[in-house]
Amino acid sequence: MHIGDQMNDSLIKMLILYCLHRIDRQRTIFSIFHLLKGKKSAQTIQDAHFFQLTNLFHTFTDLTRTEFEELVLEMEKQGYLEGFPHQSFRLTSDGYKHMELFFEKQPIPMSLNGWKFHQVTELFWERLSLAVQVVSHLKSWDSKFIPIQRKKELHSWLKGFIQRTGLNREELGVKLYEELVDCLEEYKENDPSLLVLRLTGYQIIGLTTRQAAEKMNVDNDTYQLRFIALIHYMLENIQENPTDYPILRLFVTEDNEIFPLTHSAKKTYDLLKKGFFIEEIARIRRLKSNTIEDHIVEISLNSSSFDISSFVSTEKQKLILDAIMASNSKQLKQIRQFIPDANYFEIRLVLTRVGEKI
Amino acid sequence: MKLEDVLQKHFNYSSFRIGQKEIISSILGGNHTIAMLPTGTGKSLCYQLPGYLLKGKIVIVSPLLSLMQDQVEQMMMNGEKRVIAFNSFLSHEEKYQALHQLRKYKFIFLSPEMLRSDQVINKLKEIGIDLFVIDEAHCISQWGYDFRPDYNKLGEIRERLGSPLTLALTATATPEVKDDIITSLKIEEWEEYIYSVDRPNISLVVENIRTYQEKTKRMVELITSLEGPGIIYFSSKKLSEQMASLIKEIGFSKIAAYHGGLEQETRILIQQQFIQGQLDVICATSAFGMGINKDNIRYVIHFHMPLQLESYLQEIGRAGRDGKQSLALLLYSPGDEHLPNQLIEGELPGDAQIDWLYDWLIDHREALYNLSLFESEIRRISGFTDNQWRMVEAFLQFNDGEQIEKTIDQLKKFINERMLIKLTKIQDMYRWTQLTDCRRKKILNYFNEEKTIEMRNCCDCCGVDYSGFYSFITKEPSIKIESSFHWKNHLAEILLSERKT
Repeated sequence: MHIGDQMNDSLIKMLILYCLHRIDRQRTIFSIFHLLKGKKSAQTIQDAHFFQLTNLFHTFTDLTRTEFEELVLEMEKQGYLEGFPHQSFRLTSDGYKHMELFFEKQPIPMSLNGWKFHQVTELFWERLSLAVQVVSHLKSWDSKFIPIQRKKELHSWLKGFIQRTGLNREELGVKLYEELVDCLEEYKENDPSLLVLRLTGYQIIGLTTRQAAEKMNVDNDTYQLRFIALIHYMLENIQENPTDYPILRLFVTEDNEIFPLTHSAKKTYDLLKKGFFIEEIARIRRLKSNTIEDHIVEISLNSSSFDISSFVSTEKQKLILDAIMASNSKQLKQIRQFIPDANYFEIRLVLTRVGEKI
Repeated sequence: MKLEDVLQKHFNYSSFRIGQKEIISSILGGNHTIAMLPTGTGKSLCYQLPGYLLKGKIVIVSPLLSLMQDQVEQMMMNGEKRVIAFNSFLSHEEKYQALHQLRKYKFIFLSPEMLRSDQVINKLKEIGIDLFVIDEAHCISQWGYDFRPDYNKLGEIRERLGSPLTLALTATATPEVKDDIITSLKIEEWEEYIYSVDRPNISLVVENIRTYQEKTKRMVELITSLEGPGIIYFSSKKLSEQMASLIKEIGFSKIAAYHGGLEQETRILIQQQFIQGQLDVICATSAFGMGINKDNIRYVIHFHMPLQLESYLQEIGRAGRDGKQSLALLLYSPGDEHLPNQLIEGELPGDAQIDWLYDWLIDHREALYNLSLFESEIRRISGFTDNQWRMVEAFLQFNDGEQIEKTIDQLKKFINERMLIKLTKIQDMYRWTQLTDCRRKKILNYFNEEKTIEMRNCCDCCGVDYSGFYSFITKEPSIKIESSFHWKNHLAEILLSERKT
């Protein structure tokens, strides 16, 4: 093996080989793409579990299909994999050697747990980075700063967060510091600097992902994977020892808003939170799918923070909203005339977000 | 209360900058007002301050989303919470909510496309407008370098809103642009406040360089020797990235690229790092700079010439807001004047695209009733860019499907006219780079002004002494990982250390 070869062995390529090795021609090459991208289809989720690749689920969300295809083509040229009909590929022995050597030197982080935490990873970072910035400024008695996170819902979450801690400016900084140190100190896989460098505070602006990668002397993909793994470590740690982290815990638990739900809808909600699909819940509860859908509409009506995008994609939501506007009506039938490829459930869900406001 | 007291109370300044008081007094006297103030001289104060004296709402129409966002953030940072940006950054849900609660806000920023909605118009009428502000008013004019078809409808919209008291603001307006603003807004009587576009503390320099390679070399030389902070403008995202990496590789670390293709979090961080002084140089596209409040920028370099003198002036105007001597330097190589042509072609839809659209519309007349539902399909096949689509959409939205052919002809005619205007602007820009007599005089003439004062270091044609622009400190080579960095210390510095301003 030449050193020159190894230079071309990027993390993403080696991860594709790693997955390919696991699925061993039982699936098309694109199942790997869906997995890394985090596609929420029954097939992809089943694959992730079946081939024990749940840790890598949703870890490369920015990857495009074209990029993926190019990577595969390149590795075919390099002789790492060999193609068969129907987009099926097999790892060559050379490919296997490269992959093994690569991960011997830099193993996939143990704490990585894409499937378990993919829904909260980004949110946790957004909340953490904003909270640290705000606490740092509070401490320095400076209220004039540009928040590094722009989303409105994060800002309103933050207000509630500070109230719920019940701490004053001084205590807040100290406690947050102590909990973060406590949470990160035992982490041995990588240097917690990779997270801390990115934090913004009073007169200290955090680094961007690329700047942090440069500083840590690794490529962007490696940095990203380690960063995600570190967040997952924190999430696991907080979940396992909630009493140790009274503040950090607030980053992951929802507002504790107790909203009124029928008993039956409550049960559905609990199952949804565990990650079951509508059909599965229907089977478990021996109810019709329609009924479960009714519950979901009820939940959405009662909790504005309930995320409906897993039932209706955001693009489709937008189209349905346009259709609602165009039809100038709340009657499902009329709305549907403007958007034939939406079903009633989807339209009802979107309607819960429009409410009586118009 | 005196205006100065209001200024002190709400903005913490003790005196007005040039023009501000006159413009504000004009508005408060109930006059429609057209104001031209150069970049970086505090235009936004002209509508913010009246907000504290007028009872009703201040509605500000602003064409650039990023600029709007920056202004809103800036105002919120200064403690004004009753401000909202009503634009496509909001999710649908947020939009409905905002519309419902519009009454709560004092300062309402709107993008022109939001004013297409009857609901928005009706709501605005209901809550009452005391001042209708059109920011970047040159966008109204066909002759403006940044004409927005949406802005064309503002006169009509203004009437529908009951012709409220109006303030049109711009930094750069040639006489024909100004006339266009007045005509399209349908204002009959108005006060005019025009201030010089001249920024005497900025030296204007053009360097003619033979080849691209030499230009790159020269740029590196400049960055490593000029006193920062500075901005270098590039014509493409890719180039800004490449050059930032190149300069980093030679060991100059306090530099980053900034362009619209970066993630929002990254963009915010880089802006803030620059303002805070963690970065010394930004390799930028024209997306950078609006709303950046940084007084001590010492130089602005253009790696390529911009598309017109108006944007050139805007971009160099970011230097020297503290009044200290600053440098605007444009690097020109033969052939650079052809480069913008490609950029323009990307901005305007091509004939083939329009012909395809015509055929498609003939088969899908129903699409005209709700174009937005078909936007993704049309754009997927035709490949319209954001800008191109905005233009096409503005033309089609009032068509009822009866006169498609006529509309398409108008659209084509419009595109040709735009093309001609833009090419003329490039020529003007190019000719300016090739001058042998005073550059300042020429750029002032372009805006119908005369050069009235003489100054040291005016421009390279009049003679510039560079020595004042060079840095005396040797720039330190970058260190990959500072050995002193430890995450716990860093965290302690953020969350524990006592630093009071």
